[in-house]
Amino acid sequence: MAEEISITYGSGHAATPALRDVSLNFFPGRLVLVMGPSGSGKTTLLSVLGCMLLPDQGDVHVRGQSVRGLSESQRVDLRRHSIGYVFQAFRLFRSLTALENLVLALDVAGRAKDGAKAKAEQALAAVGLSDKWRLKPGELSGGEKQRVAIARALINDPPIVLADEPTASLDWRSGEGIAAMLLRIAKEHGKLVVVVTHDPRMTPFGQRIVKMEDGRVVEDAEQG
Amino acid sequence: MWLAWRNLNHDRFRFLVTIVGIAFAVFLMIFQGSLLVGFLRASSKSIDVTDADLWIAGRGVESFEFAAPLPERFYDIAVGVEGVEAVYRMTLGFAFWQKPSGMRQSVLLIGAEPGTGSQFPIPYVDAGQTSVASEAVLVDRSNARTLGVDVVPAGTEISARRAQVVEVIDGFGTFFGTPYVFTGYADAVRYLRWPGDAIVFLIVRVQPGHDPQEVKRALQRKLPEVDVWTRDEFSRRARAFWVRKTGAGGAILLVALLGFLVGLVIVSQNIYATTMENLEEFATLKAIGARRWYIQKVVLTQALACGIVGSFVGLLALLPLMEPIRNTISWIDMPWWLPFGMIFVGLLMCVLASVASIKKALAVEPARVFRA
Repeated sequence: MAEEISITYGSGHAATPALRDVSLNFFPGRLVLVMGPSGSGKTTLLSVLGCMLLPDQGDVHVRGQSVRGLSESQRVDLRRHSIGYVFQAFRLFRSLTALENLVLALDVAGRAKDGAKAKAEQALAAVGLSDKWRLKPGELSGGEKQRVAIARALINDPPIVLADEPTASLDWRSGEGIAAMLLRIAKEHGKLVVVVTHDPRMTPFGQRIVKMEDGRVVEDAEQG
Repeated sequence: MWLAWRNLNHDRFRFLVTIVGIAFAVFLMIFQGSLLVGFLRASSKSIDVTDADLWIAGRGVESFEFAAPLPERFYDIAVGVEGVEAVYRMTLGFAFWQKPSGMRQSVLLIGAEPGTGSQFPIPYVDAGQTSVASEAVLVDRSNARTLGVDVVPAGTEISARRAQVVEVIDGFGTFFGTPYVFTGYADAVRYLRWPGDAIVFLIVRVQPGHDPQEVKRALQRKLPEVDVWTRDEFSRRARAFWVRKTGAGGAILLVALLGFLVGLVIVSQNIYATTMENLEEFATLKAIGARRWYIQKVVLTQALACGIVGSFVGLLALLPLMEPIRNTISWIDMPWWLPFGMIFVGLLMCVLASVASIKKALAVEPARVFRA
């Protein structure tokens, strides 16, 4: 839940408000699209919801816990256990294979010891990449990379998945496949999936669409 | 920390450059360290190999090689001091060595009495080291060619007096250019043609059960015009003189330090560059919830892996070169602990070099991962 959050970049004459009094409630099992033109504050909102950025004003509550009162290491713990991330640029580790990228996420969470490899294989199979486990990111297509990134986001079973322009770097077919996959994650796994996008291909998959302009929420509507 | 190894393995060229940098630094440090250790040992070797408890030297004498003569009567005074078991005379000075080619070579001629020390080079007649061969001299293998000695025995002249090289010895090569030539005390006095007093050092052995410091004070009271040192004190004094007061020692020390600094800069540069190249990955690690120590471990493991591999490569490159180097610089000395010490210094260097990288990796803003 975002509660009257505001963020301003810079100061004095150079001050640029990125978010202005944004309040939003999110619920599990939903795919929420945050849309709007460039500079509308979508990515800043995602950074705040992802506990990577503290708002100047207002607060964010993740699973009932106020983020403002947490220390940096507590926010790191919260990120590790509660949130999975999917990035536009995939952000996979180029020196590791697809499988190892997933094992790394388990290792970061301190879960690499018990059957990590088997768990990573299962996660890759779930995104349809069981035959690509030994390939490195450089050897995968854009769509495949994004599917590895989604598998990584889900491997520690977080209740929240935040995705930043997950289809922007993909062709039409791959983009649609990723959108469908994110909807399935929300519906079948009961996770909250928040996707920042200005890709119109995503629109049919969103169950709720939040539109932003100049750091403000200008429309918040449920779909279908 | 498999991520660290994978990162290094992924960018093999950078890894190779880092390894070469560290290997070069370790090579340089071990080589310069060997020069320094060898120089220090050589500068006090003639003192260290004696069996003396105490050394009596002219007032203000700072090294073995540059000493002034003492009055002959000091020998008798020293013998009479309580606690003194024996006193041995030693003389030294520069003389001219006649080469077979007819050219002359300046040498440092050192003559000592039997009893100075079982390791001290004196041309003895017998295995019991009681009688000194007459007109006999010893030269170091590294100086033999300079002195024109191809075979032994070899006849020569020192200060126009007949002498014979009876043995070529090892471990007493010159470190300051002028070869050492060892002989008995009486012959050395003859060759050096001292006009009067010929004693340069008195080597004192203390009676068992007597405290050398007590005897030293007693000798100093009886002989206020001279300096009395324990062997270790005089050894340290000689080393300090050559390192601090001569350009040669200072330069070797300085280059050894520069070797460390150059290594530190090379290693820092490479480890920092490796971290900078992976900065986006560190931001991703932070974003997905990696703790600080996890990131510290990755950077540190990368640095130490480079350090370990680079150090051993540097050592392996140096070892086969040591023998040819020793043929040129006879006094160079690489004690067993030096490579280990320098590898430790190399690893320390890598850890120090990684500190700035760790700071940078930890300071990276996780939110940057949202930028495409």
